[in-house]
Amino acid sequence: MNTTKGWSRRAVLAGFGAASAVAAASGRARADVPDVLKVGAILSMSGSSPYYGTVMSRGAQMAVDEINDKGGVAGKRLQLVIEDHKSGNTQAAVDAMNRLIALENAQAVLLSFSGPTVAVAPISEQKQIFVMNGGGVSPKMIGVSKYMFHNRALAADLAAGIIERAHERGLNKVAQIAIKSEFGDSAIAASDDAAKRLGMNIVAVEQFGQDATNIDTQVAKLRAAQPEAIADWPTTPQSGMVVKRVREFGMQQPVLAMEWTAEDTKLAGVQNSEGVEVLTDYFGKSPDNPWGNRFFDAYKAKYGEDPDFYAANYYEAVFVIAECIRRAQAKGGDWWNGARLTDALWQDPAFDSVYGGKMTFGKNGVAHKRVALLRIHDGQPVLDHYMQSSAG
Amino acid sequence: MDLLIQLLITGLINGSHYALLGIGFGLIFGTTGIVHFAYGPLFAASAYLIWWLAAMAGVPFLAAAVIGAALAALLGILSYLAVYRPLLRRRSPPFVVLVSSLGLFVIVSNLIGIVFGTDAKTVEVAYGIYFLGDSVITGVQVSQMVAVVAVALLLLAFLRFTRYGNAIRAMADNMQMARVIGVRTERVTMLVFGLGSAISAIAAAHILVRDGALPGMGFLAVFYAFVCVVVGGVGSIWGAALGGILVGMVESAGMWKIPTEWQSTIAFVVLFAVILWRPTGLLKGA
Repeated sequence: MNTTKGWSRRAVLAGFGAASAVAAASGRARADVPDVLKVGAILSMSGSSPYYGTVMSRGAQMAVDEINDKGGVAGKRLQLVIEDHKSGNTQAAVDAMNRLIALENAQAVLLSFSGPTVAVAPISEQKQIFVMNGGGVSPKMIGVSKYMFHNRALAADLAAGIIERAHERGLNKVAQIAIKSEFGDSAIAASDDAAKRLGMNIVAVEQFGQDATNIDTQVAKLRAAQPEAIADWPTTPQSGMVVKRVREFGMQQPVLAMEWTAEDTKLAGVQNSEGVEVLTDYFGKSPDNPWGNRFFDAYKAKYGEDPDFYAANYYEAVFVIAECIRRAQAKGGDWWNGARLTDALWQDPAFDSVYGGKMTFGKNGVAHKRVALLRIHDGQPVLDHYMQSSAG
Repeated sequence: MDLLIQLLITGLINGSHYALLGIGFGLIFGTTGIVHFAYGPLFAASAYLIWWLAAMAGVPFLAAAVIGAALAALLGILSYLAVYRPLLRRRSPPFVVLVSSLGLFVIVSNLIGIVFGTDAKTVEVAYGIYFLGDSVITGVQVSQMVAVVAVALLLLAFLRFTRYGNAIRAMADNMQMARVIGVRTERVTMLVFGLGSAISAIAAAHILVRDGALPGMGFLAVFYAFVCVVVGGVGSIWGAALGGILVGMVESAGMWKIPTEWQSTIAFVVLFAVILWRPTGLLKGA
C-alpha cells in the first residue's frame, strides 16, 4: 500500500474529493445568487413611442428604490437594468433579452409591447426566465412560455368591451382604425367577433404603419363609410392623432378607444378630445387604497405629473417579483432562477395590487383586474364606472 | 366619387409635403452626390427647434419658423463641415461617406430625444378648416401646397439668375469641371447644405402645426425624400417636386380600392416601377 506519513492514497484522494465537492457547492451557490439581484426591463425607450418606456421605467425604478430603502428582499438589493426595444422592434428585444441573461444574470425581466413579449417567449421558455408584461395586450402572448405573466387586461377583452359599450349606446355601425401590428390585428379580430355576436356592423377597417404620421387617407375612408361610432385602436400618440384628424374631417361621431394618455390629449387638443370614451386599465387615487395613494403622491412629487396605469403596472410588477424572490429564498436551495420564481408565484397566485385589494393570476398567466370606462372631459379622463376584465 | 375626390385632394397635399422634402434633399444630393440620410433627423430637429422657440421662448410662430429655418441651415452646414468634408478631403470612397451619413442619422435622432425629451411637442396655432363640396382641406394643408410652389419657384430663380446658382448647376453637371473653371466647390457645398436644410425646416414647421413633433418623424421623411428625388430625376428641382406629387397621389388615390395598410408600400412600388421604366427618373437633371 502506498502511504504518505500514515495516510493511505485512497484516503487522501477521498479527502481531496470531499473538499472539492464542498468548495464546488459553495462556489456554485455564490455564483447563482449574487449580492445584487438584477431585474431586467425591456421597454420602449426610443422610436415612435418612447412615452411608454419613460413612464414604465419610472414606475419600476420607484418600486426598486422603495424595496432597497427598506433593506432589499431576501437580504439582497435589487437593481433595475433597462434595455430598449425601440418601440416594438422584436430583434432589438431579443438582443436585449440575451444581453440581460448573459451579461447581467437577470432571472426576472419586465417586458412591454406585444411583439417584443412574444419574440422573447422562446428564450424565456428555454432558459427559464421569469417574465412579467404590464403593457402588451395581444392574446398571442398567452401560453407561449410557462414563465410569462401579465398584469394588464388583454386587448381582446378591452376591444370586446368597447364594442359592447357601443352596442349599449345604440351605435351599431362601427368603423375601426388601427396600427398595422400584432396589437392592432388582435384588437380588430376581437371586435369583429364581438360585433358578430351582437349583430352589429363593422363598416370600415383601416390600418396604418407604426411610424406613419399622415393618416388622412385612412380617415377619409372612415368618413366615407358613414359609421355611427369610431373604434380608435392605436396606442399613444397615434390614438390622439386619429381623434384630431377625425374631428378636422368634420366627423362628430363618438370615438371609443382602449388607450388614452396625456400625450393623446396634447396631440388631439382639449376640444377635440371632449367626450372620447376609453375602456382601459385605470389607476387613480381612492380612499380605500393607502398603498396606491402613497405611490400616486410619491410619483407626482418626483415627476410633477400624475402616474398613469402603465407606471402603476410596472411598479406593481416589481413588487410581485420581489414577493416571488422572498418566497423562493425561504424555500432554500438554488432559488435565483425563473423556474423557482414561477413556482413561488403559483404557491399563491394572489398578490397585493397597487390598484387596491388583491389581484389573482389566472391559469393563463393573466392577472384578473378591473378595468374602467373613462370619459375625456376638459382634457382629463373622468371615471364613469369600473368593469371586471374577463381575462382567464 | 366623393371619396375619390377627397383621396385626390389628400394625395395632392401629402405630395406637396413629400415634394418639399424632395426638393431640399435633391438639392444636396444632386449637387454634391452625398446621400445625406441625416436629412431626416435634421428635419425632425428643425421641428423641435421651432417648437422650442414658439412654445418655450414665446416667439411668435412665424418668426420662430424663420429662425428655425436659419438654425436648420446652420445645422446642415455643420453636418457637412464636421462629417462629410473631412472624409471627402481624404478622398474616402462613397461607401464610407454613406456609412457616416447613417451614423449621423443615428446620432442626431438620439440627440433629439436627449435634448428635448421623447414626448410629443405641439404648438397652439389656429387654422381654418374648409369644405370643397364634400371634401375637407385645412389651412395648414393649403399652406403646404403654397409653400412647395413658392420654394420651387424661388429656388429655380436663384439657380438661374445668381452667381451661386450657376455654380450649383455647374457642380451638379460636372463637379471636376466646376473645380477646373474656378468654382469654390466646398463653399458652394456649404451653401447647398444650408439651403436644403432650411427647406426641410419649412416642411417641418407645417408638420409641427399639423401633427406635432415626434422623435421618430425623421425616419420616414428621408426615405420619402429619397424616393421623390429618384423618381423625379436626380438634379432636377421640378423632378423632385413632380416625384413628390406623384408619390403622394398614387399613395392616396391608390387606396381607393386597396386596403390602407398597404399605403407605405405603394411609395416604394412607384420607385421600382419608375426605375425599371426610366432609370434616370421622370425628368432629367439640369
